[in-house]
Amino acid sequence: MNKNKTYPLWFAAGALILYSVLFVIPSLIGIGYSFTDWSSYSDELHFVGLENFKTIFSADENYIKIITNTLSFTLVTTVLKNGIGLAMAILLTKKIKALNFHRGIMFMPNVLSTLIIGMIFSSILNPSKGILNVFLRSVHLDFLAKQWLTKSQYAFGTVMAVDIWRGVGYIATVLIAGIMSISSDYYEAAAVDGANGWQKFRSITLPLLLPTLATTTVLNVIYGLKVFDMIYALTNGGPGKATTEVLYTAVFKKFGTGQYAIGTALSSVMFVFMVIIGFFMIRVMTKDEVQE
Amino acid sequence: MKKRLLAAILSATMVIGLTACGSSQAAAPAAPATPAATEEKAEEPAAEEKAEEPAAGDVTISFMASQDWVQDAELELAEKFTEQTGIKVDYQIIPSDQYTNLLMTKINTGECTDIFGGQSGQFDIVTQFNVEKNAVDLSGESWAGNVDPLAAAELTAGGKLYGQPIQDVSAVWAIAYNKTIFADLGLSVPKDYASFMDACDKIAATGVTPVYEAVSDGWHHVLWFPETCVAVEAKAPGTAAKYNNNEGTFAENETMKLILSQMNEMIAKGYWGEDYMSNEYANAAQEVADGNYAMVVANEGFGEEVEAIGAGLSKDDIGYFVIPLADNQTMNVNPAGPSRFIYSGSEHQAEAKQYLEFLASEESLTYLTENVPKFNKLPFSNAPAMYEGSVKEFYDTFAANQGTVYQTAVKYVNPQWMEIGADLSAMFLGEMTEDEVLANIDKLRAEQAAAASDPAWN
Repeated sequence: MNKNKTYPLWFAAGALILYSVLFVIPSLIGIGYSFTDWSSYSDELHFVGLENFKTIFSADENYIKIITNTLSFTLVTTVLKNGIGLAMAILLTKKIKALNFHRGIMFMPNVLSTLIIGMIFSSILNPSKGILNVFLRSVHLDFLAKQWLTKSQYAFGTVMAVDIWRGVGYIATVLIAGIMSISSDYYEAAAVDGANGWQKFRSITLPLLLPTLATTTVLNVIYGLKVFDMIYALTNGGPGKATTEVLYTAVFKKFGTGQYAIGTALSSVMFVFMVIIGFFMIRVMTKDEVQE
Repeated sequence: MKKRLLAAILSATMVIGLTACGSSQAAAPAAPATPAATEEKAEEPAAEEKAEEPAAGDVTISFMASQDWVQDAELELAEKFTEQTGIKVDYQIIPSDQYTNLLMTKINTGECTDIFGGQSGQFDIVTQFNVEKNAVDLSGESWAGNVDPLAAAELTAGGKLYGQPIQDVSAVWAIAYNKTIFADLGLSVPKDYASFMDACDKIAATGVTPVYEAVSDGWHHVLWFPETCVAVEAKAPGTAAKYNNNEGTFAENETMKLILSQMNEMIAKGYWGEDYMSNEYANAAQEVADGNYAMVVANEGFGEEVEAIGAGLSKDDIGYFVIPLADNQTMNVNPAGPSRFIYSGSEHQAEAKQYLEFLASEESLTYLTENVPKFNKLPFSNAPAMYEGSVKEFYDTFAANQGTVYQTAVKYVNPQWMEIGADLSAMFLGEMTEDEVLANIDKLRAEQAAAASDPAWN
């Protein structure tokens, strides 16, 4: 028997069929529905061409804002979670007291349900009775006590800050694993050559951590594009028209009001974004692999 | 070759299995004779036997409702019902800002609870809930004839009754005010917008915030607009009927613009305080009882809620007057309100009907009226009436001049309540103008009418 013989393609048939039936076909049907006027108000279904997409991209609607919100949420949280996560990972791989305790505390927010975090923070951030503003007023920093979730200029930043607080521990944990897998030989050799801390970080830690950072970036981007529960629990898309509305909260609301066609069209737009972003990310990641 | 054949057969079996699963879910009544379906059928007699067992001890009916709709007294009645029948009632109470979305998603995906709460309204129960498809006809129930005719009309579609009222619909959303504060400042009940603003001004000068408003709930601040639209009808009778025939728009209605601009003015002058965007209506009684706020849009049980706080104010220290925006002096009556519907896809329709019958019994209605402060007269002929004190005074003053609120009188307003709420909060934040809010209501009405194939719009 030839041990090197690759398995024939039809061995994958079961998995492919399952995947097609449960994921690919429903996705394609969803895209199909986005060209119709499907709604809960009528049992009839008509083909309307690109009408729903015209609505989404029309200036009269705020879908553009929703898409922009989603993309900026993804960008900001990805950059900050990676940045802060990296800083924390470096700190928590040093020889410090009660290391595991610190690591545990850092990871804790990630264990809690997002909805519960949302409810807790709604209370913490209450403008008059929330502990944040009460604390700020007690130390005479009244000018910093803002209406965090109910003023349009602060709401989106606040939501992102809470999400970064929740997610950064997880990213730091992944990066800690990455840093610990770097052989200490490199650092010892660099020390012999007289390298300082910054040089060691720039020339050893960062390059060898790039594949891990690529993984955390992918995780963050996917999470950011799909974010729903945090926003739903904190602001439900408000205050006002669509200050913190993102694609999934909008899709949920459209389905809730029975406007399925617009909902599926939004999902399709989201799908296109994910494909484009995913394509470029995979290219960047495979480029790294080739170099290694 | 044999292996290849075996694999092909296995793959084919799997495909058939999958499609069989799919079709038996999509069209359950006409299950095809696939092996999977035969197995299901073989199990059916056992299931039937279970259902026929006399003890209904295992049955739990689920009931989904919005936060403020289900009272403690109703939960106590549910326990009594369980004691009597063995049928358990599982209440799923949903935060009010998320309720409509969640309910519609559950109905539209076919996963609704056995009983669901929904706002009544002769147009909305058809266009929004599609009761003829999603709810069970309750016309034949023993209590159906007891439902107040005005309330029943809002629950009827195609001549059939589909729901049962939950709350006292005689209650009017009026401005509940602290009589003590008014008396101390020598203020009389405002009869128009100018005197209302004058009262707010004097109250604000004492350090008390004039009006408690709760925008974060998403629904409460909306009341100011469609409830006060009785003024629109008072100024131009027949306007609601015109809107239902798609004649004229909200955007060109001067009274509506005036109402919205006066809401903005109240906020600009600080009469709603600093925290109106994050306040919750659930805290209204506490805040008024503590003397932090002087007024709130509430219904007539509010006095009892304030008294129950135990901060020194009695229920008769709270008085009521109609919302005087646009100089309104018409009492804003709404025969529609939260109601119970039995989901047509429920497996426990008989038990759910039994529960509704229990709730509509004279004993239950009396229990609810006596134990829920805000209930004065539930809309059933066999329910007791308990108007007294400040509430009686209010009804005596305004009962002669009544109008139906616009979320009930005009089609396609109530289903967009939360959207109006979002637009109004955008208006408060300066993101939208009054004209844009009204134009958006017109736009959403047109979209819903088109989707519902309303002949007046097509």
